[in-house]
Amino acid sequence: MQLKVKEELFDEPTCAHNVQKKEKKACKTAVPGSSTGGCALDGAYIVLSPIRDALHVVHGPINCLGNSYNQRTSESKGNETFYMYGMTSSINENDLIFGSEDKLKKGIIYAVNKFNPKGVFIYNTCVPALTGEDIGGVAKELTEKFNIPVVPVQSQGFSGGKNLGNKIAGDALFEYVIGKKEPNIDILTDYNINLIGEYNIKGELFLIKKALSDNGINLLSNITGNATMEEIMYSHKAGLNVVVCSKALVYLARKMEEKYGIPFIEESFFGLSSTNNAMLHIAESFKDANLIEKVKKNIESKTKIIRKEIEPYKKFLTGKRVLLYTGGVKSWSLISALNDLGMKVIATGVKKSTEEDKNRIKEFDANGNIIMLDNGNPVNLIKMIKDEQADILLAGGRNQYTAIKSLIPFLDVNQERSNSYTSYEGIVHLGRQIYLELNSPVYDVIRKAN
Amino acid sequence: MENLKNIEINPLKTSSSLGAVIVFLGIKNSVVLMHGSQGCASFDKVTLTKHYRENIPVYTTALNELGAILGGSGYLKAGVKNIVDKINPAFIGITSTGLSEVNGEDIHATFNDLKKELKESGNYNNLSLAYVNTPDYDGNFEEGYKNAILSLLQTFCIDDREGAADARNNETIDKNNIRNISDYKNNDKDKNKDSGAKDTENIRANVFCPFSFTAMDFLELRDLLEDFGITPVMIPDLGTSMDGHLDENGYLQTTSGGTDIEDLKKAGLNNLNIIIGSSLQSLIAPVKKITGLNTYYFSNVSGLRNTDLFFKFLEKISSRKTPERYKRQKRQLMDAYLDTHFYFLGKNIAIAEGIDILDSFSEVLSEVGANIKIGVTTSKAYENLKNRFEILTEGDIDSFGELIESDGNGIDLVISNSNAEYTAEKIGVPILKVGFPLIDRIGHNFKHYILYKGSANMVYEAANLLMSVNETLMEEV
Repeated sequence: MQLKVKEELFDEPTCAHNVQKKEKKACKTAVPGSSTGGCALDGAYIVLSPIRDALHVVHGPINCLGNSYNQRTSESKGNETFYMYGMTSSINENDLIFGSEDKLKKGIIYAVNKFNPKGVFIYNTCVPALTGEDIGGVAKELTEKFNIPVVPVQSQGFSGGKNLGNKIAGDALFEYVIGKKEPNIDILTDYNINLIGEYNIKGELFLIKKALSDNGINLLSNITGNATMEEIMYSHKAGLNVVVCSKALVYLARKMEEKYGIPFIEESFFGLSSTNNAMLHIAESFKDANLIEKVKKNIESKTKIIRKEIEPYKKFLTGKRVLLYTGGVKSWSLISALNDLGMKVIATGVKKSTEEDKNRIKEFDANGNIIMLDNGNPVNLIKMIKDEQADILLAGGRNQYTAIKSLIPFLDVNQERSNSYTSYEGIVHLGRQIYLELNSPVYDVIRKAN
Repeated sequence: MENLKNIEINPLKTSSSLGAVIVFLGIKNSVVLMHGSQGCASFDKVTLTKHYRENIPVYTTALNELGAILGGSGYLKAGVKNIVDKINPAFIGITSTGLSEVNGEDIHATFNDLKKELKESGNYNNLSLAYVNTPDYDGNFEEGYKNAILSLLQTFCIDDREGAADARNNETIDKNNIRNISDYKNNDKDKNKDSGAKDTENIRANVFCPFSFTAMDFLELRDLLEDFGITPVMIPDLGTSMDGHLDENGYLQTTSGGTDIEDLKKAGLNNLNIIIGSSLQSLIAPVKKITGLNTYYFSNVSGLRNTDLFFKFLEKISSRKTPERYKRQKRQLMDAYLDTHFYFLGKNIAIAEGIDILDSFSEVLSEVGANIKIGVTTSKAYENLKNRFEILTEGDIDSFGELIESDGNGIDLVISNSNAEYTAEKIGVPILKVGFPLIDRIGHNFKHYILYKGSANMVYEAANLLMSVNETLMEEV
C-alpha cells in the first residue's frame, strides 16, 4: 500500500511554525464536521495541471475528477494546450476486484496516442491507494515506452489538505521533471530566474513577465502557470528561484538549492511597493551593480506612473475599512497593496498563515491595529464586519455569498478572481474594482426594499 | 466503445454521492455531511457553489489515513455532533463516498447506532437524519439522486414511524384510512368535513422530479398543481431551496426552503404519487410500496404531446378543468412551434447530457422537426430513447466531440453543459448550455424547459442559436 507520503514532506526547516512542532505532520488537519478546503489531490492538481502540454490523469473513482474539473482559472496559452482537458481512469467496482493498473495503463496509452503530449501526470487517489495499486510501476513502464516523463503523483486525499498536495506536486516535479533537459544556449541571458507558485490567474503571469523583461530579467521557467514540460525540465539552469505566494512550494525551492545551488527568495507581486521590492530583491540577488542601477531607475519612473493612475481611486478609497480573509502569503501581501490604495485593513485571516506570514503582517501594521483572525467561519466574519464597521470584504469565492447575502460589498481575491491584481497594472485593476464595488447602488436599493 | 479506451477524457459523468448531496440540499433547514476525505466534500461544494451561486452547506467527516484503514465510525459520529453544535440544522443528510465504502465498513450500522445515541442523550430531539450509500465507484449521479430519495422515504415513512405518529397526533387518519384517488370523489365523509371548501382542495400529492428540472421548472410545476387544487409535497424541493432568493434572515448556514421533514413523515397519508423523469422510472415500484399510494409516472412533461397528456391526467385526478392561462400557454406553444420550425428544417442536433435532458430536449426538438442525431449519456439506461436518436451511446465529452466531427451531415447545434463549451467551440458549433454544471452562465435557475411555457422557451432558445449561424451563411453566399 502507498498510504504514506514521504516523511520529508512534513518537515519544512524554513517554516518557523513547522520547526516548533514536535511531531512532523501536515499543518491543520481537518476536523470531522468542518467545511475546510480541498484535499491533497486538489492541491497537487492546482500546482501541476497548468502545465499545458502534459496530460493530467486522475486515477480514481469518477468523483475525484468528474465532479469538479474545468474550474481552474489558471490561463494557459499556446498551441499544445491540454490544460482544458480532464482525464480519469474512473475506476468502478470491477476494477476494485480485479485491479485497475492495467486499465490505467491502457487508458493512458490511448490518450498519449491520441494527443501526443510532452508528459503525463498520474494522480493517485484514496481508493486505489487503499487497494494498493502501483501507479509508480505504471508510470515507469510508460516513461520507457513513450520516452516522455510519466510522473506518479502520490496525492491521495486522506493524506492531508491542499497544502500537502502542493508539496507533493513540488516533490514530483523535482524527482521526475526538473533537470531532465538542457536548454538551448540562446534562450539564456545573464539574469535567468524561475517563478515558483505563479499560476497565471487571469493572465497575471503575463503582467509580471512584462515587468521583469522591462528590467532586463529573463523568466526562464514559470512553475507552473502557462508552463510547458520543456521549460520545467530545464529550470535547473536558472540563477535564482523566486517563490511567489506559496509557502508549500518553498520545499521545491529548497530542494533545488540543495541539488543545483540555485538560491531562492520569497516575494509577492501584490501592490506597488511589493512589486518594487520584488524587482529590487531579484536584481540584488544577482549582485550586479548595473542591473541594480537599472532596476532602481525603472522603479522610480514606474512608481510615478502608477501613483498617478491610482490617484482617482485612492482619493475615494483613503480611510475605507477592509476585512481581508484569504490564505497564507496573501494575508500580508495584499495588505501592502491595500495600503498603497490608502485603505485601512482592520483584520486579516491567518487560518492558513505560517508564523513567518504573521510576522510579515506585523511589518505592514505600523500601529499594531490589525486583528489576526483565526476563526473565519461565516458567522464570525459577518459579526466582525459589522462590529468593526468594515466597508468591504476581500476574500475567496466561498465567502462571496456570506457577504452579499448580508448586504456587505465583496471582492474575490482568490483563484476565482475575475481580474488580474498583481504587478504594476494589477494594483490599478484592484483599486478600480474596489472603487466600483463600493459605489454599486445595489446594496442601498435592496436595503431600502428589504 | 467507452470500454475500449479505458479512460474518461473530459467526463460527462458525475458520481452518485453528488446526486445524493443535491437531494439533501432540497430539504428545508438542511446540512449535508459527506463521509469521506475532505476533498470529496470540497470538490462537490466548489462545483455546486459555482453552479447555484449560493452558499452550499456541505460538510466533511474528514477521514484521514487512520480512519480509512481502521474504520471511520468515530469520524462520522463526531462530524454529526460538531455540526449540531455549530449550526443546529433541522436535518442532516449523510452520504458515503468511495473512500468510506472501500474497506467494506458497515456505515449503515454506524448510522443506526448514532441515531440511537443521539436519541438516548435527549439533546438532539429536533434533529432528523438520513443516510444513503453512495460509493463513488459504483453507479452515477442519477443513481445517487434516486437512492437518496428512497432513503428519505424509507427513513421518514417507515423507520421513523414513531416520529411520524408524533407529528400527526392530532389527526385521526391511520394507515387504513389512506384515501385512494379513485375513490376520492365518492368519499362523502371528507366532503362533509370540508364543507365550504371545494371538494378537491384536499388532494395532496408526493411529487418526484428529476434533477434536470431547473428551479423555475420546480416552481412552475408547483403553481400548476396548486392551480388544479393539488397540494404538492415535492421530494426533493429544489424549487424553493435552490432558486436563489435572499432569505429574510440574510445569510443562512443551512438551506433556505425545501421539503419540510414533517411533510415527509406524512407522505404516506397523501393521496397519490407523481413521478416525473426517465431517470426516476425505477422509483415507481419502491415508492408505491413504501407509501402505499397510487403512483403515476411520466417520462417527461416537455413538448406538446406530453404536456397534453399531463394536463389530461391532472384534469382527471382533480376533477377540474384546465385553467384558462394554461390553455393560452398551449396556444402560445403551438405558435412557437410554427414560428421556429423553419430554423429547425434539416438541422442536426447533438446532445450530451444525463438521461432526463436527453429525453425532454429530444422530445421537443423532434416535435418541431429537427434531426436528433447524436446522444451521449452517462448510463446504459437509455433503451426507451433508442428510436429517437440516430446514435445513442454512453460516453464522455471527448467521444462526443469525435462523434460530432465524424458525422457526415454535420451537427448544427450542440446541447450540453459548461464542460462541453471547449469542445463545441473548437468544432465551431453553437452550444445551448443546459443541465449541470453551468459554471460560466448565470441565471439558469430562471430558465424553464417543461410544460407548455417551458417548451416554448426551449424552442426559442435553440432557434435563436441556429438563426445566428444561418445569417452568417447567407452573408457568405
